[in-house]
Amino acid sequence: MDEASSQNQLGGSANPAGVANRQNLEEPSQRIQYSIPGILHFIQHEWARFEMERSQWELERAELQAKIAFLNGERKGQENLKNDLVRRIKMLEYALKQERAKYHKLKYGTDLVQGDMNPPVEEGGEEVRVDPDAILSTNTNVSWKQSRHLLRQYLQEIGYTDTIIDLRSNRVRSLLGIDGGGNEENHNSTPAMNGSDTTKRMPDANRWNVTKKTPSCLEAQIQDAERAVIDNFEFLRSEGEDAEGMEMDDDDEDDEPEEEDDVHRLKSPKVPKVALDVDDVDGESVDLDPDFRFLPDVEDSSPGVLGFGPGSRRVYGPGGEEDALEGLGELAQLTVTNEADATYDQISSTKENFRKTWTAKYTLRSHFDGVRALCFHPQEPTLITASEDATLKLWNLQKTVPAKKSASLDVEPVYTFRGHLGPVLCLAMSGDGDKCYSGGIDGTIRIWNIPSSNIDPYDSYDPCVVGGSLPGHTDAVWGLTYHGQRQHLLSCAADSTVRLWSTDARSPLLYTYAVEKDGIPTSVDFVYESSNQFVCSFNTANCVIFDLETGKPVTRLDTETEQGSSSISRQINRVVSHPTLPLTITGHEDRHIRFWDNNSGRLVQSMVAHLDSVTSLAVDPNGLYLLSGSHDCSIRLWQLDSKQCVQEITAHRKKFDESIFDVAFHPSKPFIASAGADALAKVFV
Amino acid sequence: MADQNVVLRRNRPGTKAENFYRWCDEAYEEMDSTLVVQQYIQQTIRLDHNNIDTILNAPETQDEGVWKYEHLRQFCMELNGLAVRLQGECQPSTCTQMTATEQWIFLCAAHKTPKECPAIDYTRHTLDGAACLLNSNKYFPSRVSIKESSVAKLGSVCRRVYRIFSHAYFHHRQIFDEFESETTLCRRFTVFVTKYNLMSRDNLIVPILEDESAGQGESEA
Ligand SMILES: [Zn+2]
Ligand SMILES: [Zn+2]
Repeated sequence: MDEASSQNQLGGSANPAGVANRQNLEEPSQRIQYSIPGILHFIQHEWARFEMERSQWELERAELQAKIAFLNGERKGQENLKNDLVRRIKMLEYALKQERAKYHKLKYGTDLVQGDMNPPVEEGGEEVRVDPDAILSTNTNVSWKQSRHLLRQYLQEIGYTDTIIDLRSNRVRSLLGIDGGGNEENHNSTPAMNGSDTTKRMPDANRWNVTKKTPSCLEAQIQDAERAVIDNFEFLRSEGEDAEGMEMDDDDEDDEPEEEDDVHRLKSPKVPKVALDVDDVDGESVDLDPDFRFLPDVEDSSPGVLGFGPGSRRVYGPGGEEDALEGLGELAQLTVTNEADATYDQISSTKENFRKTWTAKYTLRSHFDGVRALCFHPQEPTLITASEDATLKLWNLQKTVPAKKSASLDVEPVYTFRGHLGPVLCLAMSGDGDKCYSGGIDGTIRIWNIPSSNIDPYDSYDPCVVGGSLPGHTDAVWGLTYHGQRQHLLSCAADSTVRLWSTDARSPLLYTYAVEKDGIPTSVDFVYESSNQFVCSFNTANCVIFDLETGKPVTRLDTETEQGSSSISRQINRVVSHPTLPLTITGHEDRHIRFWDNNSGRLVQSMVAHLDSVTSLAVDPNGLYLLSGSHDCSIRLWQLDSKQCVQEITAHRKKFDESIFDVAFHPSKPFIASAGADALAKVFV
Repeated sequence: MADQNVVLRRNRPGTKAENFYRWCDEAYEEMDSTLVVQQYIQQTIRLDHNNIDTILNAPETQDEGVWKYEHLRQFCMELNGLAVRLQGECQPSTCTQMTATEQWIFLCAAHKTPKECPAIDYTRHTLDGAACLLNSNKYFPSRVSIKESSVAKLGSVCRRVYRIFSHAYFHHRQIFDEFESETTLCRRFTVFVTKYNLMSRDNLIVPILEDESAGQGESEA
């Protein structure tokens, strides 16, 4: 028996079948007999199972940790990007400040006092450099390394590495608002610099005209980091040239055989298609030229700032996932304060203070000389401009030239009004938008029946558009304003008269106000708050409210106390009446905007509003905002209650010493517009 | 640079017509805006519109492409004055086609397929088309430098707008003469396109330079 049992025991491991047999035989007598080999086997089995599960969990854990690491990486990347943007905004602000100071100094010989003038460069760059190092050094955790290794093996096993990283980098980019990998290729094949997209992404950057460039700049960086600012936005121009290069084929098509068409066939001078506003980009960045030269250095000082460059795989370097995983276990450090956060928050909060940031959207090019006046249709997205080239043009903002790369669209006129001999100086539109009135240097006021805004610009000539004229003035007509309810037109001219016209009567001239004792009138407006008054400004700096019925002065605004020395600097260029309040606003040659109480004639407030003479003013239909244009090339938007400037946009270039002639609000749509001596008009949305 | 007492060249609101643009001239070298060439051309024209040689004489440093371009802009702008006058007299019923001599009928190039527009429409369409082309952001994105390929476009614009002169000359002689005596525009245009080889001599059918049979056009009518 002993032998047998020992044999049995020995055989247990050697011959399991025998054990089974034996057990079966013995079963009836002994219910469950645990044999050592059996137990061992079981334990072995179980151990293997747990071990397997454990390793699975470990893998899972590693995977999750990788995910955390990746998210950390994402966050880092975003922070870097954010830092970079903040830095850039600071730079641009600094550049603008410097330029302002320089301009001011050149202009007035004194230093302009304005806040911090230190280049905001260092902090940003340093911060970025320090951060990753800190992270690297703290990560010496052994178990973490093991799991990292495990994960790597795991990932390699399933051949997943690249895909997953690709996938995620795409996600990061989509998180960042940068289009995914697909677009990366797009950028190569069809350089679709979609400006409108970028503007949506960074609307808060638009506060100042310079930073307005940031959005498009951002996108460019993402495509080609270093090129961005180095060339002082020169790259935008070259983009434009590229585009034109690509379109040379069209060009050639248009190039008609020189002589052949002389007799019968002329190919159409094709409407231009490119709308990248090279001109404008140039115009707006040109002022900042010298200051941007230091940007390249800055760029170098913070490598990797532009983390999510062309494809974020490159960010993580050749050992992509390794770097990503360096962030593992970094949860604790997630709370490390990021200096840029504060700045960023400030920016986003300032953004919220502004109800709307206006950006240039339409460029109206077709005039040959300075655009002196413009006015919007009461309801439709159309406007009319009047120019020193003696024409008026009707523009439909819905008929744009398809833009290729720019946020700014070009518009071509749908109709050209010809009738004036010599520059057209002022413009008014009737309340229903059917007619418009223009005053010219030829002393005439012309009436135009506005054709449909969907008219074919090359339709046959319809003499009905020319609706006659209002004869009376004997010198240049400088001011026109239309009163919708009264259907009256008010004009002022260099012949020192103001005239009131009824626009539907047979004898239209209702009243001639001889105002020569106050000087030559420069601008007129109805007083909307009081039903039968108008206000007239003069080149002598006088500004008087008259009674429409009697022609007698009602209130003489107290301009005596606020006078400069030379007669020219006293001139008021524009007067507007507030739509609801007894408030008159004047724009002066001496750079001031002044606010007056209609009843007392007292000065309510006076402020230096521009760097050069204020030429034009417009109040929005609700009476909350004031828009001003100046020969300093900029338009500014003011909050009327606080008299704070909420936005400044550099809009036009100078011709001689003139730049901006007129500004306007659309009466019912969110458009503002400016008219310039550079023969352009611009519409902002 | 800018002194306090510097002259500001501005047509401020209230300026009388006679004083419009009447300021002391600025030397070409001192103009620093991006619209220097336009400023300079307009300044010399205002000085004496009969002095064609001076008007067309480019400052030494001036890029010729831009010079030609800005002159053509100025021509198209001033041609508006002729178009306004024609608008009153040149009716689609009487001038049903754009003709000068009976030799040619000019088709209007402003349409997708060139069209036999009445003379007044031809005039308007051609000026409107020229305004679009010369302001096109595609061909003329800058007024400071112009690509060669775009400069090449100026010739066809010249040929087309010249027909407005020729139609006026052969069909509305009184208007033409009045306009010419006020502006000397056709003469200046003729000298311009000849000087810069923008049109072939055969096409210059208005006998405006006939009194000087010599090749180089001279001023004084
Ligand atoms: Zn005719
Ligand atoms: Zn036509």
